Amino acid sequence: MNPPRLQTLALRKEYPGTVALDDVSVSWAGGQVHALLGKNGAGKSTLVKIFAGSVQPTSGQLLVDGREVRLRSPLEALRAGIATVYQELSLIPSLTVAENILLGRLPQARRLGLRRIDWPAAIREAQRLLDEMDAAVDARRQVRDLSVAQQQVVEIAKAFSSRPSVLMLDEPTSALSKHETANLFRLVRQLARQGVAVLYITHRLQELADIADTVTVLRDGKRVGSLPMREADAPTIVQMMFGHVTPRHRPPDLVPGPEPLLEVRGLSRKGKFQDVSFTVRRGEILGIAGMLGSGRTELLRAIFGAEPPDSGEVVVEGRSIRPHDPPSMRALGLALTPENRKEEGLVLSLGTRPNLFLASLDRMARWGVSSNARERHRAQELVAQLAIQTADVDFPVASLSGGNQQKVVIGKWLNTEPRVVLFDEPTRGVDLVAKQQIFEVMWDLTRRGLGCVFVSSELEELVEVCHRILILKDGRIAGEVQPEAITPNDLAVRCMTA
Amino acid sequence: MLELVLLLLVVVLAVKAPGFFTADNLLNVLRNVSIQGVIALGMTLVIVAGEIDLSVGSAVAFAGCLLAWLVQAMAHHLPPPLAVAAGSVLVLLAGALIGAMSGWLRTRFRVPTFIVTLAWFTVLRGAAQLITNGFPITPFPEWFSFLGSGYIPLPQWFNPAHWADSLSLPAWLGGWIHSFFGEQFPGIPFPAVLFLATFGVVQFLMNSTPFGRAVYAVGGNAEAARLSGIRVSRIKIIVMATVAALSAFAGILQASQIQSGSASTAVGWELDVISAVIIGGASLSGGAGRVWGTLVGLVFLGVLVNGMTLLNTNEYWQSVVRGALILAAVTIHFAPRESQRT
Repeated sequence: MNPPRLQTLALRKEYPGTVALDDVSVSWAGGQVHALLGKNGAGKSTLVKIFAGSVQPTSGQLLVDGREVRLRSPLEALRAGIATVYQELSLIPSLTVAENILLGRLPQARRLGLRRIDWPAAIREAQRLLDEMDAAVDARRQVRDLSVAQQQVVEIAKAFSSRPSVLMLDEPTSALSKHETANLFRLVRQLARQGVAVLYITHRLQELADIADTVTVLRDGKRVGSLPMREADAPTIVQMMFGHVTPRHRPPDLVPGPEPLLEVRGLSRKGKFQDVSFTVRRGEILGIAGMLGSGRTELLRAIFGAEPPDSGEVVVEGRSIRPHDPPSMRALGLALTPENRKEEGLVLSLGTRPNLFLASLDRMARWGVSSNARERHRAQELVAQLAIQTADVDFPVASLSGGNQQKVVIGKWLNTEPRVVLFDEPTRGVDLVAKQQIFEVMWDLTRRGLGCVFVSSELEELVEVCHRILILKDGRIAGEVQPEAITPNDLAVRCMTA
Repeated sequence: MLELVLLLLVVVLAVKAPGFFTADNLLNVLRNVSIQGVIALGMTLVIVAGEIDLSVGSAVAFAGCLLAWLVQAMAHHLPPPLAVAAGSVLVLLAGALIGAMSGWLRTRFRVPTFIVTLAWFTVLRGAAQLITNGFPITPFPEWFSFLGSGYIPLPQWFNPAHWADSLSLPAWLGGWIHSFFGEQFPGIPFPAVLFLATFGVVQFLMNSTPFGRAVYAVGGNAEAARLSGIRVSRIKIIVMATVAALSAFAGILQASQIQSGSASTAVGWELDVISAVIIGGASLSGGAGRVWGTLVGLVFLGVLVNGMTLLNTNEYWQSVVRGALILAAVTIHFAPRESQRT
């Protein structure tokens, strides 16, 4: 057994009110690929941030090659021997591959008394690194001309060029095709053979057998355990990730009617999702289960017309409109609460009241005149209906908690009297009470005959809330399940494996 | 906040600058800011929507020259009042069209308005010179000057100086009334009336219509506005057309005031106008700003220039002080927000 290259001892991270990491001790050997798994909020990203130097632990030790290190910044992490490749690429598109790889330490030469960059040497050095990795990329090309997969390789080369002890890869395959993924795996194995400890963060269980030597699972900030990959099958890993979940169910009085409200027919968008068809009936909550990168957000955005689909049709109560854009879909009775509420749902520079009426400005006006008094009155009604906690409806929406901001986004759409509401991750970053209140709102809507589409990566939420669940995988509907007939863990297995 | 600073400035000037605190002079201040003020109201819309228009000064010159040329061309076919009216309508339409084009280029091809209007800045100044061939055109009838420099006369009994003596007031108050109102009350400057009327319309538009609320939303977060079903492109085109039409309107007033179409007028106005809007509290990043604030910012700058002139401040120093004050006002305005963020 190789000696551990990265080790943590009783690592603990507290945030006000919560413990993100609870005495995590783990060690990873060189020459191997180690998968790190955990569902949202398990502490996975906190641990990654500590390794990358962007977050400092509250207590505990971190050892690289047996030496204790303190990482106060990403630069210190890199110097200590931990290189990280993030999911979002950090390359500069207008520069060449060589410049990107050697950024900040381009070789220099003195000529005619002036220090200048030695371009031939830079290109040689970068190319040697790429060849060493068996990557067929020309170091002289501009990064913007490369495919995403090639950019990924350059990113890894850049990380690897510092000769790290530990290479951390955060969801590296989320944007890659099957073939590109296979190439990436070959490259990662190659790097591991050189003695590096590769830390591989993913949620795609089906990849693990192909790439990982060991798997470590976190849950609720604790290390649940580590296994050699050959002893870990999908149900075991899911069991470790989710623990025992007691499924809860929606109130019994919610029965969907027979008539279809929303019909999605053959919707496709190149590279995102293909040939998606489904129907939402009156009073029905349809869940869509899919992992990050499954196309779930793109699908909802396309239905709503935020990014129109390449082909296919959206019909609401037998009607469809052209053009397929948000104002038209709003007029049809569709509503979308987006995944990123701060970027796409709210205008943070404004108060709660104007945010509540963003989608219903004309509806709130009489003879084309808006009235502050009328708006305040209606805003107070919405605030009470949704239990939004704010001292005054004119306080800045930016000062509200995540759950209350989400309720403002929902309130914005309720005021348009929609027929079908598309919820994209409505419970992300929301506390438990607000989560339950959001479910209550959805159930209430269906009692009034509306339809809901609910996308969530918290699968137990889908099982609790929905009437039916579609499984979306790699942009295609891979199946339909009844929440009564499946446990969240089985659903997770179906979402994460081929 | 700015209101208080303005009040303080007025009090200081009232004490220090002879002839400042009279009805005549204060109305004069209002008159002086009126023509630029009309543009500043439109600029408030544009800046709140997260855009900018650098071409307003050139647009004023262009509009004045175009009007003069049109009136001259129509002089043989139409009676003068009709020629001026028809010319004005055409000039306003041309302004709106130019602005709509900027908005269209912004939304259709994502060219920043900073660039589009920088192009107009040069194009319109050049077009004005082409129209006039470098010399002012003076086809306007005399009555036309009323628009830009006329006064609405008030009856003499309206002047408190004429009946204050009969009220047996304390001597100091009677004296003050006499010195404030003077013996000859000048009346209300007509451009100020036009400016205040425009203020009323823009204030209503921004604070009491769905359009105004949409402008704030678009400037604050265009993507959230789009995903709420607001037609972001339409809003941006409308605000750009509005500021350009108001610049054309200001150009007509300016032509009236100088009684000619001149290609060399209104140089540097874009910066005066943008300064007033920013001092008035609007954020260049969009989403924040009030029409009332712009009014206060305009009056503040007007009072400052007027006060310095009355105090015989060297003209070169006036520029330096103005610039320093703009910087100070904006720094103070932004300071609390920046510290909140950290």
